[in-house]
Amino acid sequence: MALDHFRIDDRLIHGQVVVGWGQPCQLGFLVLVDDAVVDSEWEQELYKMGVPPEMDLYFDSVESAARRMAAYREDARAGMLLVGDIATMAALQAKVPDIHTVTIGGIHHKEGRRPRLRYVFLTPDEEMELQALAAKGVTVIAQDVPTAPPIPLVDVLAGDGTG
Amino acid sequence: MSAASNASAAAAGNVAPHLPWSVRAEMLVRMLGIQGAWNYETMLGNGIAFALEPALRRLPGGRGGPAYRAAIARHSGYFNAHPYLASVAVGALARAELEGTPAAQIERFRVAAPGPLGSVGDRLVWAGWLPLCSVMALLAFGLGAAPLLVVALFVGLYNAGHLGLRIWGLHAGWHHGLRVAQALANPVLRNGPPHVARALALVAGIALPVAAQKLLGEGRIWLGGVLAAVAVGALLVTRLQGRFEGWRLAIYVLAAFLLYSVVR
Repeated sequence: MALDHFRIDDRLIHGQVVVGWGQPCQLGFLVLVDDAVVDSEWEQELYKMGVPPEMDLYFDSVESAARRMAAYREDARAGMLLVGDIATMAALQAKVPDIHTVTIGGIHHKEGRRPRLRYVFLTPDEEMELQALAAKGVTVIAQDVPTAPPIPLVDVLAGDGTG
Repeated sequence: MSAASNASAAAAGNVAPHLPWSVRAEMLVRMLGIQGAWNYETMLGNGIAFALEPALRRLPGGRGGPAYRAAIARHSGYFNAHPYLASVAVGALARAELEGTPAAQIERFRVAAPGPLGSVGDRLVWAGWLPLCSVMALLAFGLGAAPLLVVALFVGLYNAGHLGLRIWGLHAGWHHGLRVAQALANPVLRNGPPHVARALALVAGIALPVAAQKLLGEGRIWLGGVLAAVAVGALLVTRLQGRFEGWRLAIYVLAAFLLYSVVR
């Protein structure tokens, strides 16, 4: 139990998270870490609409997430922490060095990004950010849903968007 | 009404500015093709821009102007949501664009909206309305309705639901703008899926034996075979879960039926 899923997904909260991971992992709470959303009431209202009543949703900045990490980890329920981009996860990991595994759940197409998997598109800078995370001892994998096999970072970076 | 007067109307409170019915109707018709250019890169993005386009013509500079072009480019980017509930986003984005909402705020809405719209739509439509319409048609078949009537019942019921949802979604999105979470808090959307699921279970419980009796006839010659096939199928699906995709299994079963009908 406790907080042991750290996911990068530019869609943040959506069906794959709430149903795909939420049901088999029996997630009791989600932590959404985003420095803009934490100050935006209307965005928080929207995200809350995507979460079933039995699941708690907490909003944090990178600072407050790092501060509350111990409490989240002591929670008896299973939890997942979500960030929308690699830079946010890197900033959080710098403050919470014992984040050992990070899952890429979805980084989608944008100008300048190259396809690596069907659900992972990366710019050269983002690839370097992921490699920097891995160099710090973090295991970086790509896995959109629990039934899909986890793909190691080296295979993600070697992909051409068809996998 | 121009974008400037729309913006001043909105500034007076959260009163939705005027959008002609002809523009709404055009957007609604375009939303029927919202998945027409679906792809892995942008998913519904092209469809969202296509559905929004009639409203975007009303931006300062009109069709082809800098604001219009920037908005089309913005909305053609990645967007993924339930195709019917995407109408809520289309309405909200149209209002945001015509009110001159900053692009950064619109981008943040485009990130925040898909999750709730997908989650609500999946539970209400894919897991509720679609199977409910299917078992109601099955029940009609079991009760002896003519094949054309069964098909008409399914098509009529299902389309009434999704068209109604799209019309409501466009109106709700336009009415609430980026504060559309208030619309998604609608009791029908929040509490509807469990009620639909209960109705589905009830109708399925009646429809399946009635339809099975209709198919197998009174003699029950095939009953044992059918029950055994169902048990084997259920066991296979359970054992292969996570290792074998359901559509492949369905194709193999269909192929086996085809082969059987040819060789017998």
